[in-house]
Amino acid sequence: MSISRDAATNLISAACQYLDDEDWDAFLNICDPAFRYRITVRSPEIKREMIWFNQDYAGLRDMFSVIPEHLRRLGTLLRHVSIGHIEHQAPDMAQVTSTFQCIHTDLEGRSNLLAVGRYLDDVRATSGGLRLAARNTVLATRDLGVGSHVPI
Amino acid sequence: MPSRNSIDWNAPPKLPATHYTRGDIYRDEAIFEDEQERIFKKVWRLACHESEVASPGDFRTLEYAGTPLVVVRGQDGVIRTFVNVCSHRGARIVHQPAGNMRHMVCFFHLWTYDLTGSCTSIPRPEAYEKQNLNKDKLGLREVRTGRKCGLVFVNLDDACESLDDYIGDALEAFENVLTENDLEVFTYQHATIDANWKEWQETNLDLYHEYMHVALRKTQIDPKAMNQRELKVYPKGHIRGGGSGYSANYDGYSGWAKREDSKALRGLTASDFRFTHIFPCSSMNARGTIMRISTFTPLNAHQTRIEWRGMSPRSDSEDDWAMRTEHYNQYWGPFGRNVPEDLMAAELCEWNFGPAAARYQIIAREEGMRGQDDGFLRAFYQRWGELMGRSASGEGDTP
Repeated sequence: MSISRDAATNLISAACQYLDDEDWDAFLNICDPAFRYRITVRSPEIKREMIWFNQDYAGLRDMFSVIPEHLRRLGTLLRHVSIGHIEHQAPDMAQVTSTFQCIHTDLEGRSNLLAVGRYLDDVRATSGGLRLAARNTVLATRDLGVGSHVPI
Repeated sequence: MPSRNSIDWNAPPKLPATHYTRGDIYRDEAIFEDEQERIFKKVWRLACHESEVASPGDFRTLEYAGTPLVVVRGQDGVIRTFVNVCSHRGARIVHQPAGNMRHMVCFFHLWTYDLTGSCTSIPRPEAYEKQNLNKDKLGLREVRTGRKCGLVFVNLDDACESLDDYIGDALEAFENVLTENDLEVFTYQHATIDANWKEWQETNLDLYHEYMHVALRKTQIDPKAMNQRELKVYPKGHIRGGGSGYSANYDGYSGWAKREDSKALRGLTASDFRFTHIFPCSSMNARGTIMRISTFTPLNAHQTRIEWRGMSPRSDSEDDWAMRTEHYNQYWGPFGRNVPEDLMAAELCEWNFGPAAARYQIIAREEGMRGQDDGFLRAFYQRWGELMGRSASGEGDTP
């Protein structure tokens, strides 16, 4: 069971679209039960790697369930991805390195770049299809303005 | 209550002048410039934690009140601060936010300064001899620097009072936490928001806004405990919250676990939360297992840059570090549940005070300086008024 570039591309594109659409159930449906979503960034101010977000599958599900109650950034996000290198780690596992731009569009339709960085995605082939096994969003952007209640 | 017409809407509230602010203080460029001169260039401001400049040569750069600064620990162990501007042509000398250096060399003409700010070398200096100019007269501008409980403060006013006199007893709630935990900065973030600096600071001082936060509604708002909560105001506009009535049950929020007392920072229990604000822009917050120090820089009347530092004991194990990272991020990280809401609140006020749609702000809650009294806001604006020579309500201004 090998993982083709097309299949990996489709999975990552779907993940981004579901997050853009805030279709949390659809997003979780393409994630492996052992899925973990991390957002990391290097701080030149304190010369350290930092973790800004770290949730497993259950944590994400809990978090998504409360999002409608929060006051949060108004408008929508669009994650534009360029798939780069795919490294096959096992017959059913591959790591996909992508670059992304996350664009915020406000309620007036004005779009601004919110963040750029890399996605390091582990994808797993299962009998039910390809699943996202882990994502590490490595941010280059460190000033996120008001921040975000949802992962980028 | 009927709606109001424009005359009523634009009229000052029928309240004591201490109990409201007028909208122009959030948008008037002349007031902003006045604040820079009368407040920010006169007061002590948190620059960094001393662990960030732990070894000789360690430095941190920052910008404050339009002034680029470099904080550096000298070979003699003394922490000094200099305006980060070459005496020669005004170029920025140190560019990186942090690092280690043996001396400061301006990239432009290689003028060199030691870590005490003395100019030690100028290439081909003889050409300045006719003008009687030499390196002895060309040192960097030094800025007043003070340390208290591991916190490094700076003051742009050469004639300012001492840091100890400025702070007084206002750090009393944090002295143990800051001195007994051997802290270092484990996470750092900054954000630029489209809001006047006072709109941001009000979210820090307004206890009533707890209701905005889902996480606080689920973990810490207890109407029965409100009358136990004391609001303490110190001289010079500093304030403190914490103690009886200030506690949180973290497992009240979906997916969060109870915090263990055994993991609390020394000087705190796991459920404690407390905060101290040093006027006008330096803050300490603690939530049992985690602590944060923060500050901000007004960029212009409509933009503010905020910095937060998460603090953890240097002795933390990998597991403890992971736990503190998780707890910090729950509330205060850029993907946390609280800080993005506070930042949004400031921006949403700016939306209305910026174009003058909002005319006045009411800070009139009175609960005997307990619970969610607006006393912190009134204390802040009293101090603001003393330094600015005007009332935040506009009282006494020529219409």
